[in-house]
Amino acid sequence: MATVNNLLLQKGNDVWTVQTGNSIKDTLTLMAEKNIGAVLVLDGPKIIGIFSERDYARHAAALESMLLDKPVDQFMTQSVYYVSPQQTVEEVMALMTSKKIRHLPVLENEQLVGIISIGDVVKQIMSDKETTILGLENYILGRDYSG
Amino acid sequence: MATVKDLLKSKFSQVWYVTPTSSVSDALKLLSEQQIGAVLVVEAGKIVGIFSERDFARKALSPEVNLDTPVGDLMVRGVYYVTPDQSVESCMALMTAKRFRHLPVLEDGKLVGVISIGDVIKQIMYEKDSTIQSLEDYIWVHMI
Repeated sequence: MATVNNLLLQKGNDVWTVQTGNSIKDTLTLMAEKNIGAVLVLDGPKIIGIFSERDYARHAAALESMLLDKPVDQFMTQSVYYVSPQQTVEEVMALMTSKKIRHLPVLENEQLVGIISIGDVVKQIMSDKETTILGLENYILGRDYSG
Repeated sequence: MATVKDLLKSKFSQVWYVTPTSSVSDALKLLSEQQIGAVLVVEAGKIVGIFSERDFARKALSPEVNLDTPVGDLMVRGVYYVTPDQSVESCMALMTAKRFRHLPVLEDGKLVGVISIGDVIKQIMYEKDSTIQSLEDYIWVHMI
């Protein structure tokens, strides 16, 4: 069964982050440049939150303001879940589904080593299931052919 | 193999929409209230666009955009759609290729629902699990 580590090997360890105090404008600019839906917010090396397109849309609606000059840490989601490289993609999928989150940072020995999205996880699970189906079909066919 | 119609049946298919003259602020409030990521933009009964959290986050950087801007200026035009008889797999292929999370469903030119990537994935996973289950059952019954 595939693990988070398998996913990171495929997609790389790029993690896009902003620092606490950075403006919403700079944060949105980074998200646009990298074409991503969320960035981690750090205080020095430490993760203190995550900021997504959804966070932005919800806060702008509630406060009736574009918020562009405000610091990102005021509007980020503070409770950040994370996973470790050894966890299975199924565990990650369950966490993402139950918490309704699309992105999870990957931490190894408290070091940030990557970020995975629901898209990465779904792709992997689909491909695992396809492999299982093929294997079972081959088993059945192989046995049938040999009599 | 499941079709779009099956998905709409299993889902409360209320469709939320705004008009091109609605303000960005009104559209964002609707997204927030309904806990959804995108709304259709409809004019005179016709879909003219779609507006998502992503569209807002990207276009908010333009100096001329603010919360009073009409949604018509920010929406994405040329919306792809599916029909109720299409397979769920074909929707998945379209969503993956075009990187869409939502697709309106049209029947005889009339809007009958919206399906999201989450609905589609849930269905496809379920079908793959059923296939695996029946193959395993077959092996148990016939081969062991």
